Amino acid sequence: MKISFQIHHDMAEIVTLPEQLQVLGQQWSLSRKTIAEITLILDELITNTILHGDCDKRQPIDITLTKTGQTLIIQIIDTGFHFDPTLCTIPDTSLPLEQRKCGGLGILLVRQFCECWHYTRLNDKNILTLQKKLT
Amino acid sequence: MKTTITKDNNTTIFALNGRLDSNSAPQFEEELQDFLVSPCTHLLFDFNNLEYISSAGLRIILNIAKAYKSCHYLFVTCAMQEHVQEVFEISGFDSFITIHRSLADSLSALKGRE
Repeated sequence: MKISFQIHHDMAEIVTLPEQLQVLGQQWSLSRKTIAEITLILDELITNTILHGDCDKRQPIDITLTKTGQTLIIQIIDTGFHFDPTLCTIPDTSLPLEQRKCGGLGILLVRQFCECWHYTRLNDKNILTLQKKLT
Repeated sequence: MKTTITKDNNTTIFALNGRLDSNSAPQFEEELQDFLVSPCTHLLFDFNNLEYISSAGLRIILNIAKAYKSCHYLFVTCAMQEHVQEVFEISGFDSFITIHRSLADSLSALKGRE
């Protein structure tokens, strides 16, 4: 099963994401927990791209979800500047409050909710592919 | 996200309803300005009706926790839904933020503390 959709470079479009995924979750019989995790993954990555990606605003972000058995593949393609989130430093969650910083929390959550991820730069596009086991 | 603010003795209660994400975070941060700058009551976040939190919401909560670390008032949270609590735990926030099971537990813990 496969579905593709686009999000334009407008934070207002992120609001539609949970609704879209809710519908998809029903069609694909995904658990409430899985839908919440997929929403979080896409929300974090797409928000990052819209706010910091410096993309050509006319070019939407392409999202494809593919379900094969109990595995979900998420692919996100954007035209922003070269950015490989798989190389980002993950914050140390064991640090005391005084030493904790705000940065990197989104990437930490994405990393936690998928099994593996892979980045490629091709034809001036960022292509991020994530694999998630469905429970 | 809708926020309902009430007072109970020496505690200000923020009841969060809906989704705390990059869209709702700026408004929420504005509502919390006084508490971020100079806390003057205990602060309680009631998460009972919060369905979802992203890193944009976590950032604000981290800043609130820091603001309350250096004052004698307390910041506590309660009634988290499973997914929200999981996000808190992954982020390590449960090691420095008190999470009570219910609003009543929070109010009872804060009662009598000046």
